[in-house]
Amino acid sequence: MELHLASMNPSAPPFLSEELSAWNEAHDRVLHFLKTFALSDSAQVSRLTLQILDLARKRHRENPSVSPVTLVMEETRRITVDWFASNLALPEEPRSRLFASGYIALFLSHMPQKAPDAFLISRLPEDLRLEMKASLLVTGPDLQISSMTPRHLDYGPMHDFARETWHRWSSREILIALLFWTGIYFVFYWWLSDLL
Amino acid sequence: MKISPIESSVAIRRTLFMGATFFLIATGMALLLRSYSDEQMFWADYIVIGLFPFLFGPITVGFILGLFGFFDWLRGGDPLHVMRRPWREKEESVPLAATAIVIPVFNEETARVGRGIANMWHSLERTGQIEHFDFYLCSDSNQTDHWIAEESVWLSLCRELNAFGKIFYRKRRHAINGKSGNVADFCRRWGKRYRYMIVLDADSIIAGPTMVRLVRAMEANPEVGILQTQPAMVLGRSLFRRLQQFSGGVYGKIFSQGCSMAQMASGSYWGHNAIIRIAPFIEYCDLPILPVPNPRKRHVLSHDTVEAALMQRAGYEVWVAYDESGTYEEGPPNLRDMLKRDQRWCAGNLQHFWFLFARGIAMGNRLQIWIGLMAYLCSPIWLVFLIAGSIASYDRTRFLAFSAGPEDLGAPKSIETGILFLLTAAMLFAPRLLSVVWALSRAREFGGTFRLLTSALLETFFSILIAPILMLFHTLFVIQAIAGWQIRWTTQNRADTGLSFSQCFLLFGWQSCLGMAGQVLAWMYLENNSWWLTPIFAGWIMAPLIAWATSWQGSGKTLRDWGLFIIPEETQSPPELEGLNHDENGSETLVNHLWPQALLCPYLQALHLFLIRQRFPSAQDQPAPSLAQLRERLIQEGPAGLNSKEQLRLLWDAETVFWLHQELWSRPQKHLHPDWIKWQTKAGKMKCYPSCKDSL
Repeated sequence: MELHLASMNPSAPPFLSEELSAWNEAHDRVLHFLKTFALSDSAQVSRLTLQILDLARKRHRENPSVSPVTLVMEETRRITVDWFASNLALPEEPRSRLFASGYIALFLSHMPQKAPDAFLISRLPEDLRLEMKASLLVTGPDLQISSMTPRHLDYGPMHDFARETWHRWSSREILIALLFWTGIYFVFYWWLSDLL
Repeated sequence: MKISPIESSVAIRRTLFMGATFFLIATGMALLLRSYSDEQMFWADYIVIGLFPFLFGPITVGFILGLFGFFDWLRGGDPLHVMRRPWREKEESVPLAATAIVIPVFNEETARVGRGIANMWHSLERTGQIEHFDFYLCSDSNQTDHWIAEESVWLSLCRELNAFGKIFYRKRRHAINGKSGNVADFCRRWGKRYRYMIVLDADSIIAGPTMVRLVRAMEANPEVGILQTQPAMVLGRSLFRRLQQFSGGVYGKIFSQGCSMAQMASGSYWGHNAIIRIAPFIEYCDLPILPVPNPRKRHVLSHDTVEAALMQRAGYEVWVAYDESGTYEEGPPNLRDMLKRDQRWCAGNLQHFWFLFARGIAMGNRLQIWIGLMAYLCSPIWLVFLIAGSIASYDRTRFLAFSAGPEDLGAPKSIETGILFLLTAAMLFAPRLLSVVWALSRAREFGGTFRLLTSALLETFFSILIAPILMLFHTLFVIQAIAGWQIRWTTQNRADTGLSFSQCFLLFGWQSCLGMAGQVLAWMYLENNSWWLTPIFAGWIMAPLIAWATSWQGSGKTLRDWGLFIIPEETQSPPELEGLNHDENGSETLVNHLWPQALLCPYLQALHLFLIRQRFPSAQDQPAPSLAQLRERLIQEGPAGLNSKEQLRLLWDAETVFWLHQELWSRPQKHLHPDWIKWQTKAGKMKCYPSCKDSL
């Protein structure tokens, strides 16, 4: 069952229908995004979704021109960065590396399955934190470059013959070849006729 | 100068082989010429006589190799063979060396490749020697779905097998020179780290104990450069595959043993299921460019034979370990896919002509090149031979009708014709017969004596029907390769899911028309002499039916249930083949349309950023205007709006991948193509995180 903001937060001021639709979209977006982490506890996904929506709503009051979808995803990224920084002590720049390292550490340590309650919220248990920090992606051994180049190969008489033909293609060669093979054919014909 | 036992043996064996071959060809030629002694000669007869040795030669070679192989089996194997030398007595004491298992892939069935690697890993683990082996999955895939699937399978393998630092994935940006370029790229980057590499195809499997034995064989025999195993064809479900694997299982052994006995240290290399000494391979075996004027045609297409020749030229031996078990491959699932493969091989083998006369190439390699050439050139020669023979027969019938009384028209041919016919048939079928005798010695593994004999008979019948179909296609391939034409193929069907009859009719229907027209013309003009063409016309007429009927699993399964076309790997299935059947695992469906998930799924996106091995992008990075435009197009037009080249360009740019991941999640629905909303939902539902867990 999907939890929508309007039904979960009745104390909040009423939305206009357009605004409600935008917040519902924001809710769906952050919910789908959090589901991609494959947490083993779906209630945690719902809790996180509502928490992020609340944070986004606060920001939306200050800056109503920004779309709720954009705000919830910005908030999601912000708390993800904070959480990675506090648990993994990863270098914060460039952002792409922080996210990539963090996501891979999550995946390799099975953290979303082992401790879903801590995901993006609280500090991880020490053993899991160490396990995540130790998760190392070895993408390839160090290069040890060798030079592999073709050695010269003399293709022999056929190459010489072909090269001569390609470079000196003229009617004279064609005529000689025709005469040669016609001669061969007649010798063959004469020999076989005589033999049989 | 001291001559080694191998050198003296090879001299005797080659003399025997060449002598017997030439003697039989000369006998056949003499019989043919004698059969004409009482006949009027026509112009077409001269073509028949001229082409005869080119057709009779390969039959003779096959016969002699069959005899060699059978003799070698009877005497218990070649004592000079590298796998039978004294080192085998203290095999366990031979130390191992660092070995890379290199698996080049190109848009392959990724989950199947992953399962194969996992099985080999487990098999090596059981030997207790896994620390000496590393796996390299080297991709040239140009389909983004396959690329992302490969990355995902790699990570899953590493995680599930705890194999980080032991299994590596490398994707080439530019797939220069195909598979040989891919292997060469591995050698240039990491070749120095290893003494040996075991080269596999995407569908190849080698058992752990076999790999260990191959490495020990190389360590104990430093003069060996390449050691090729004889992979058994396995996992066939369609009738076509089952026919092929049965044929390989029964006839392959004796033939390979015969080849090995004749070739000895100048054996073949087939490009996979072989171990290679890396240092000389790097130093001597990079492929030379061909001496042709068109720069686009200078790359050697079929690299293996040339690499074996270059290795030998550098002074290293190349052996075929025909007796090693635990080495497997899969054949093409149907006739159409086999023809597609043959088209590639034909173009490659014809290129080898240039190496036939190259200086420094060993005699054994020249023979192999010649046999490889004739494997395809025989088809056009056979076709011309048949046409010329029919014309000569028609001329003779017409001549007799004019010159003699009606009683002469049915006159029997000379006795030499009968002897020649019998000799040819005997030489064609003797190797099969000898192989069946060998197989009878282990009949239980082939399903029992009766079933083995029935299967062999049926397989021979199918071979007779399929041979003329191949002949016409191979003739086309030869013409195409020489003229540089392209033959268009309909979409390839990789799994054993069968071909529709309309597909078969589209591809093979012209042969049916040709067969029917040929049969009618033969009845009209050749009358009683037309019978000998009937098996050929029958193959052509039934071509669509044969291709269709043999492509289905149902027919293969029924015959398997009856105990026909059984191979030893089915009577006792090795653990290395467990779970590799294509239809047993549904995870392959994930491969379709996977690439947008590399932009949406955080795990896949992160993995991709690591694997493309670029500098991690920073916020200050600005894309080129064309790339920025492409990004916007992807967002506005959805994943289907970009062609595969454009998709590849986006995925190769780390900054773009990171930017798109953020934008696709942050932009409101109205600023995204509707497909992206579906993909987001799917990303949450399908658990798109890298997993081939089910397969491991």
